[in-house]
Formats: sequence, structure tokens, C-alpha cells
Amino acid sequence: MGEAQEKKVGIISCSGEDCVEGTISRVATRQALGKLRPDETVTICLPLFLAGGREEREFARDYPTITVDGCDKMCAKVATERYSGKPASTIVVTDVLKNLHCPKLSSRRKLNNEALAVTEKVAEKIAEEVDEVLKHWV
Amino acid sequence: MEGSDRKKVIIIPCSGIGKAFGSISRDATYEVTENLRKDNTQTLCLALLVSGDEDSIRLVRDNKCITVDGCPLQCAEKNVKLAGGNLAGSLRVVDAYKENRHLKPRSVTFLDPDGQQMALKLAERIAEKVDGLLEDQ
Amino acid sequence: MSEYLRTIFDKFELQVRKGFYYTRDDLWVSVENGKAKVGVSDYLQKTSGDVAFVEVAKPGSTVERGKEFGTMESAKTTVELLSPLSGTLQEVNNNLSGKPELVNSDPYGDGWIVVISPLNLEGDRSSLLSAEEYYTLMLGKLQSEHGKLESR
Repeated sequence: MGEAQEKKVGIISCSGEDCVEGTISRVATRQALGKLRPDETVTICLPLFLAGGREEREFARDYPTITVDGCDKMCAKVATERYSGKPASTIVVTDVLKNLHCPKLSSRRKLNNEALAVTEKVAEKIAEEVDEVLKHWV
Repeated sequence: MEGSDRKKVIIIPCSGIGKAFGSISRDATYEVTENLRKDNTQTLCLALLVSGDEDSIRLVRDNKCITVDGCPLQCAEKNVKLAGGNLAGSLRVVDAYKENRHLKPRSVTFLDPDGQQMALKLAERIAEKVDGLLEDQ
Repeated sequence: MSEYLRTIFDKFELQVRKGFYYTRDDLWVSVENGKAKVGVSDYLQKTSGDVAFVEVAKPGSTVERGKEFGTMESAKTTVELLSPLSGTLQEVNNNLSGKPELVNSDPYGDGWIVVISPLNLEGDRSSLLSAEEYYTLMLGKLQSEHGKLESR
């Protein structure tokens, strides 16, 4: 991989088409990637990862990963463990929701204000986990 | 599945997270399943299907499926085939782009106006495909 | 020994084919039997996104070094293709009209774009970069254009 491996964390998000939590997972990941931790993170495209994408799987094998799932089926976590290795951290949106006392969320297609607020919380959580992983980087 | 005796067409987008076309595949799917052909279609989580979820596998095998891919790598098509799905159609966002070159979607996280327009154009194509499949049933 | 010089940027591996020549605008030239085959580098295809259209001048057209001979278009950008050599455009890769994605999937092979019969091969070749020189240039572009490989 090179003399000094650049410190990056791979974020693997579900995009659960069937529920609003999947949309939240996707949008929160993009916010963490694009705004909160742009220099420290790389996104792994889950469908490409599942289909055997070489760059996605190699990155997830060689770098620490954080999985972000919409629900407790945890497809991103399961796939990462199966094809590359145990993620350094896992986040489940429904768990985040429990701590926020289940605000009324919108449709899966367009996030309402409550859902956007949850999305920000999830994005912040991803950023915190990225910091934690980087702190323990050996 | 609601109305379980009636067959539905399953629309499966790739939802690729790295490109605007991935977001468009997803939004076009919702436009069809929630608006244009809401009584005859539904979607499902691609990742859940690939993880081996039995309900998802049964759904794609028992019903006709249309995949909607954001890029030429065609992950939705590949993964549905791998799961033994009844693949009746494969659409690509790039084909909608070729017919609408003036649209230049840039944003990935939330679709910009060009992205929304392209999603609508693609949704119309998907709906036409759905109609064709339902006629054959 | 590998055919390519490689570097990793984010999760992407970027390759520079050894033995080819390159322009500063990220086109490659491969000289075979006095003819010059031309395509775009891995770096350019990656930064351009999924190619939807490649449109070039017709066979028989005169091309001039540094002047446009065609365009490559994705949803993300339209790239002017500037000829690395002066001469006559001899052949066009017609596969690209139906499968423009070949530029992305195989930029140094099946994704070639045109073949030029050069007017002054040796003269024009002296202004091209070697693979090693282009590799260094590419690394510089990656440094200064961080984050460009993925939409934010």
C-alpha cells in the first residue's frame, strides 16, 4: 500500500430503499463524507461492494471501516464482515432514533424537518466514530 | 405483501452512493412505486436481497423485476441475477441522460433540479416497461 | 514487471501505461507501424465520470497538434480532446458510439478513440511526455485537485 498508509476511514452505508431509515443512513453518510470529515473518509458503494467491486473490497480490507445501517438487519455490516472484515464501528439508525424518542418521520423519499434533524445527529455520530477510529490508528 | 394474490413488478434501483446517477436511480424508483404505478409496483432493499433475506429472494423470484442502474457496472442487475430473480428488464440512468443531454445533474446527496428532471424522465421509461410487463401477465 | 505505473488515491487505483506517450491534457499516444493510436488516460476517465458520448472528426479529416479533434461528454463534464499530433485522422473507434463506457472500463485498450497518420511524428513526439513524466504530472494534479474523484 505504500510507505506510510494515509489515514482514511471507509464508510459503508446501506441505502435501504424500503424505509426512511435507509434514506437517513445514506444522506447522513454523505454529509459526514462531504462536510464533516471530507479529508478523513472515503465512501464505499455498497451495491458495487456486493457485486464484487475490486477497489471497494480492497479498500474495506486494508483500511478501517464504519458501517451505517438503517435497521437491525444490518446489511452493510453483514456484507462488510463477509467480504472484507469486521468493521471498526457500526451505527444503526433505529438505535439512534430510540435515543431521540422516535420523532415522527417522513416518507422515505423526501426527508421532513424531523428526519433531517435525525440525519444530522447520525452524521455527527459518524464523525465522532471516525475520530475515534483515527485516534486508535496504529 | 399487500394484495398478495395480485402480482406486482418489483423495481430495484442500485442507489449507488458515489454518483448523482445512483441517487437518480433511487428517486425514479420512488416516483414509479409511490406515484406513477403505485398499485402495481414495489421496491425492495438490494442489500437485503444480497444478504440472503428469504422474503426478498422469494419476492424477486415470484414476480417480474426491473433493475435500474446508475452506471455501466450494473450492480442491481448483477445482484438480482445472482439471487435468481425473475429479471424482466434492465434500465440504466445513462440511457435517460443520452436522450436528455441538456440535463447536467451534479448533486448526489439531494438531487438538484436537473437531477429531479432526469429522475422523472427515467420514471416514465420505467412505467412504460411496467405496463408492457403487466400486459404480458 | 507491471505494464503500468500505479498510484492509489482514496479507494481508486490510477494507472499510467508504460511505453505510451502522453499530453499535458491527459491523452495518451501509442505508436504502431508509423501510426498513432490515441485515447484518454485512466486519470482523465476517472475524473470525467461515466462517459456517455465520444464525438470526433470523421476519418480523412486533417488534425492539428493542440487543436480540438473531438469531445468526450459525461453528465459531469465535457472534455475537449486536443490532438497530440498533426496529421490525418485515419480511423475512429466506432465501438464507442454504442458502448462509450469502454473509455472508462479499458482506457488504454478497447477504449481507444482515434488513429492518426502523423505528418511529422518525430517532431511532434518530442513535445509529448514519457509515461514517467506524465505519472509525475498526474500526481501533482491529484495533490492540487483533492476530492475531485468523487462527487461531494
